[in-house]
Amino acid sequence: MEHLITFTTPDQNSISVKSQTGMLLSDAAHLAGIDIGQPCGGQGRCGRCAVQVTDGTVRRRSALRLSPADIEQGFALACQTVVEDDVSIYVPPQEKIERRLTTDRVVAEVTVPADYDYLSDQTVRRIHLELTPPSMDDQTDDWSRLQTALRLQHRLENVTCSLPLLQKIGAALREGEWQVTAIVDLANVLQSGESDRPVWLIDLQPGHVDEYSSLWGTAIDIGTTTVSLWMVNLVTGEVKAQAAEYNGQIARGEDVISRIVYAGKGNGREDLRQRVLDTMNVLLEIACKRVKAKPEDIVKATIAGNSTMMHLLLGIPAENIRLSPFITGVNHLPVMTAREVGLSANPEASVDCLPGVASYVGADITAGVLSAGVDSAEETTLFLDVGTNGEIVLGDRDWLVTCACSAGPAFEGAGVVNGMRATTGAIEEVWINSETFEPTYRVIGGGKPKGICGSGLISLLSEAFITGILDKRGNVNLMATSSRVREGAHGGEYVVAWGAESESGEDIVLSRVDVDNLLRAKAAIYAGFTVLAETVGISLEAVSKVLVGGSFGKYINVEKAVQIGLLPDMDWSRFEFLGNTSVKGAYLALLDWQKRERITEIAKRMTYIELSADNTFYEAFTSALFLPHTDLSKFPSVESALQKN
Amino acid sequence: MALSGIQIYKMLPQTNCKECGFPTCLAFAMKLAAKQVELGSCPYVSEESKKQLAESAAPPIRLITLKSNGTEVKVGNEVVMFRHEKTFYNKPGLFLRVKASDPDIAKKVAQADAYKVNYVGMDFTLNGFAIEADGDASTGSAQVLSAAVKAVREVTKRPLILIGSDAAALDSSLSLLVNESTLIYAADSSNYESLADVAKKHKAVLVVKADSLDDLADLTQKIQAKGVEDMVLDLGGKNLSEWLARSTQARRLALKNFKPLGYPSIFFAAQNGLDKEAVYAAQAIAKYAGFVVIDTFAPEMIYPLLVLRENIYTDPQKPIQVQPGVYEINSPKPESPVLVTTNFSITYFAVANEVEGSGLPAWLVVTDAEGMSVLTAWAAGKFDAERIAKAIKGFDVASKVSKKRIVLPGHVAVLSGEVEEELSDWEVRVGPREAVDLPAFMKQALN
Amino acid sequence: MPIEIPKDKWAGSIKAITIGATSAEGGTRAKAVTVGGGTTMPYLQFEAPTPNKPVIAIEIKSRKPEDWSPLLAEVWGEAMADSAQWAKKAEEAGADLIVLALTVEDNPEDAVKAVKSVLGATGLPLIVWGPGQAEKDNELLVPISEATKGERLVLGICEDKNYRTIVATAMANGHLVQARAPMDVNLSKQLNILISDMGMPKDRILMDPTTGALGYGMEYGYSVMERLRLAALQGDAMTQFPMIVTPGFEAWKTKEAKVGEGVPQAWGDWKARAINWETLTAIALIESGADVVVLRHPESVKRIKEAIEELITA
Repeated sequence: MEHLITFTTPDQNSISVKSQTGMLLSDAAHLAGIDIGQPCGGQGRCGRCAVQVTDGTVRRRSALRLSPADIEQGFALACQTVVEDDVSIYVPPQEKIERRLTTDRVVAEVTVPADYDYLSDQTVRRIHLELTPPSMDDQTDDWSRLQTALRLQHRLENVTCSLPLLQKIGAALREGEWQVTAIVDLANVLQSGESDRPVWLIDLQPGHVDEYSSLWGTAIDIGTTTVSLWMVNLVTGEVKAQAAEYNGQIARGEDVISRIVYAGKGNGREDLRQRVLDTMNVLLEIACKRVKAKPEDIVKATIAGNSTMMHLLLGIPAENIRLSPFITGVNHLPVMTAREVGLSANPEASVDCLPGVASYVGADITAGVLSAGVDSAEETTLFLDVGTNGEIVLGDRDWLVTCACSAGPAFEGAGVVNGMRATTGAIEEVWINSETFEPTYRVIGGGKPKGICGSGLISLLSEAFITGILDKRGNVNLMATSSRVREGAHGGEYVVAWGAESESGEDIVLSRVDVDNLLRAKAAIYAGFTVLAETVGISLEAVSKVLVGGSFGKYINVEKAVQIGLLPDMDWSRFEFLGNTSVKGAYLALLDWQKRERITEIAKRMTYIELSADNTFYEAFTSALFLPHTDLSKFPSVESALQKN
Repeated sequence: MALSGIQIYKMLPQTNCKECGFPTCLAFAMKLAAKQVELGSCPYVSEESKKQLAESAAPPIRLITLKSNGTEVKVGNEVVMFRHEKTFYNKPGLFLRVKASDPDIAKKVAQADAYKVNYVGMDFTLNGFAIEADGDASTGSAQVLSAAVKAVREVTKRPLILIGSDAAALDSSLSLLVNESTLIYAADSSNYESLADVAKKHKAVLVVKADSLDDLADLTQKIQAKGVEDMVLDLGGKNLSEWLARSTQARRLALKNFKPLGYPSIFFAAQNGLDKEAVYAAQAIAKYAGFVVIDTFAPEMIYPLLVLRENIYTDPQKPIQVQPGVYEINSPKPESPVLVTTNFSITYFAVANEVEGSGLPAWLVVTDAEGMSVLTAWAAGKFDAERIAKAIKGFDVASKVSKKRIVLPGHVAVLSGEVEEELSDWEVRVGPREAVDLPAFMKQALN
Repeated sequence: MPIEIPKDKWAGSIKAITIGATSAEGGTRAKAVTVGGGTTMPYLQFEAPTPNKPVIAIEIKSRKPEDWSPLLAEVWGEAMADSAQWAKKAEEAGADLIVLALTVEDNPEDAVKAVKSVLGATGLPLIVWGPGQAEKDNELLVPISEATKGERLVLGICEDKNYRTIVATAMANGHLVQARAPMDVNLSKQLNILISDMGMPKDRILMDPTTGALGYGMEYGYSVMERLRLAALQGDAMTQFPMIVTPGFEAWKTKEAKVGEGVPQAWGDWKARAINWETLTAIALIESGADVVVLRHPESVKRIKEAIEELITA
């Protein structure tokens, strides 16, 4: 029987074609000249070809990845659905489809905490002062005059400042004709609740600056591989600019150990300090430009980072971090000034380096725990921070345990032949046709691919495995018949993008060594959380939420992350991707002194577990060094996916 | 039942006061769960928690100590069926049996007592001697035994086992062994009352012997009722299979907290002939015996048995290591390259297998990195220039090769300068980071 | 007072696997050898009888080995230069199976000839090892596999970096494979999965968990084998293969077995010590679950045979 199929495209064009009963919607669309992407080769695996049946009936052979509600609304997979009637089909834009899929997670957007109140939560305030001009009758010195005004007009009884600021005070007072704006940090007063604690004077500006104009602060996460920086208007709490760049220390070693060793030699410590400062200051400059501010306008900085990064930023010897029994120089740092630290900001700006727990569990994790809310969770929560070091936290509001494992920078796109950060030009998702081994990929920004970012690597590894290009050990199956599978410099490799399509003109490949790096990274994380859970006697089934932080990219396909065995095989609804939780935690601490206090509490409460103490971790690691895992029964969904292929 | 860290944590004050020496109560709880600290370190734990925690910690197999004025041997206190589950703690005592009537007894014991063999830096010896009262009562066995004990005590300070069924003879011999803890072999259903008295009087340990586990359990309870706490089981069993069954059953029952069999066992290796002695002793060592008695003093048998015992009782929770040393791969020649790696077994195998598979000859120098992989060892300071140089010099690699050139793993490229300083007459090359790239590297870069 | 003896009830068992094929089964062997099938931890007869006893393979080489201990040269004599002769002597010494180890010097033609001559000289089932280098192994084993189709040889040694070719040819020609992983439960299981994923029938895989000699890491192999056996009994299908180990190869590599002079006096008599080294390594591995032990010295074979007979009596 012949039916009339009417397609409506995203730009509202309607095209009709005739088709026989039993024709696939994807074929009908092709007849109509409409290109419905089928990254997986029309096998109903990827869900990217979903369309909406607005009128008439169809028969769905498979509705994998569509929720019952979607089906209710008429969604169907074009490659798995056949015509049985006259139908009208709406072809939605690709982006919209991806939002619908049950597997895809978009990293949560940053929003200002709903209850943020600059006047009660923020430690840095801009206050107006009106001083009585001096006279022959009142020859009080400038500084005392200022102090008196602060005491009488704002009840600030113990204000101190630096010498360089003291040198500027007289000029500012006179230029403003005794009307000035002071920027003060009230952290001590707020935390203690006592008004006689020292208040730090950050700046004194002539005249009355609009109380509600932007007041700039910055939250920074110093990752081993990537430094991320947010530019925040402290008055509104809004994040006005974000910037990230590879840590300049990478040139001196990819992992913390290399950095520590380097720091221990000659001028190494100072070189590393300067390198990370350069990275931070360049980022500050970029961020300032974006918000049309000057670095001197930044009056407060909150910094998170692992213990090694923190030590290296501050030039504190880090050697004992790597040597047994693994001791840091300092976990809880005093508040410093930008001048002391070397940050391009207002020299008197408060620089608050967040506290860490142990050598391998630093402020990035305490901040992460805060932003992920693990310390207040009612039910057992697993928090994974997937970075160069994988850090893991398990617990709830009553107890918290944590451990660290060395994952390597693969998921940040580093240490992989064609890896890159999740920025324009990065392949962020890959699908491979299991018959032809031809890939379909999506590039951030839509242009030519330059490389592959973390989420792209997860996706690629999973597809190569599911389609049989890789065996479960990660060996490239050179018996596969495709020119994309070939012997490369490091053993077998798979070509994701030919030189002709790439930005550089060179092939973009997944090499055997890359696969090994990715396997090790995912195995370390998986082994880390399984061993941690085992150590405290909690089964993974008892974990109600899995919160994942890290810089893979903007989108994560949960199914793929499970298929490679990075994440446990559990109900997808239990996963949440939080992006960079460290910088987010620093941001929250930057805004709200009570949250900052909570981080100190978290650091004191967390129990650190050393994984390397016995064989258990190695065992778990080797068993996870397989796709998805040596014990396939732990991954029932992957088992059934493999059977389907 | 063993409790988990979180379960124990819930019984603790949860104040994180740090007075126990750990940063949090949970950290302390997990150390308790792993039996690495005593509950007493917590000053604030409640009496009720103390009681609950003590119950979960009692050992299922009694610790038995034989003591002389020279040395002691401890057996028992085992907690698992298979060594990988935790570890086997107390190595079985290896004893040599001598006959009381043997005119050469002193000479034989003296020779065996002096036996010492070194295995990877450890000195191994026999643990003691079993003196068998072999005469019958009519020929004055009591005197023979006493004379033998005196003679033996003069040439060895090691603990003793006295074998005999005559309570009076055992009594008089034990009187010679003041302040010792000796093992008496053996009480059965016919003589246990008198032997129990002797054991009690001399604070000796008593072997209990019966034809079945049922009878054995009955007997240990009767003896315990007579006030003897320290016992050892002779499980019987006429061949390898039967003894394996009984030993397994007794261990299982004991681990299930069946107290009447919660004692270590003793096994006589030559019971079915000297030609089977080594194999019998080997099974006993592997399968739970507490004391193994041999009849032959033969270093060529004792050395491998002592090594076997060491192997079986090594803590399996430690990372798997290979012996540091120079490994020859594909029959290397003096001009073959020298590769360096660590003694973590997986690392060693990864490197050795790649090179072996390539067919290229090489000297593989395995350094003592305390069983860590290259990166971990380097991170922890266990694989540095000093240690590498020490291995190259210590194993005298220079004498094996014509070309003094070593290849470091790519992951520790940063060490090359320091290694050059330490080994000034050697050329230092940096190899690939991954073993998989070694064959290509050896073909291209080393020629 | 009767005690209730605790008996383990297991969900799984070891697969029974037959090596070699008689003429009725499409081969030329006088009789086939079946190993595995166990349903308990090794030799716990009070739980269930041992269905197939562990067997002993004697290792011979395609060319006279120059680096073997003089003690072995002394006992095998001239036969070492002729693999057919050697195989015959091995059968007389009590071998249940022959392992023929090829060398790098062999070309495919020699190798096929050596295999054929061994098959002609004895009726025992045969295990053939390549020289242990990926390319060479594949080059020699493929023609051997094809030339002996239907014999149910065991071809080895498959490792995770080189298994596809050997598995493919074994599958095509009705042979078995020996799957070796370096002393690690997970790695053993992983290789078994990789081989099974290629479609290899599960009754044609022998796993080789690798062992060290006594004093040289034997305990790791020992525990790995116990753990594999436990996992198999617990129902893990990918560990339910019979195990083959090479205590002969390992023990005769050691200084204790190889060297007679310049060693500590406390080591005792050389020959007796060397044989003890091989025997004790083998017996410990049998106790931990080995189904096939590959030995080198006839005296060790004799003693292990006696021990096996005792272990399997109920």
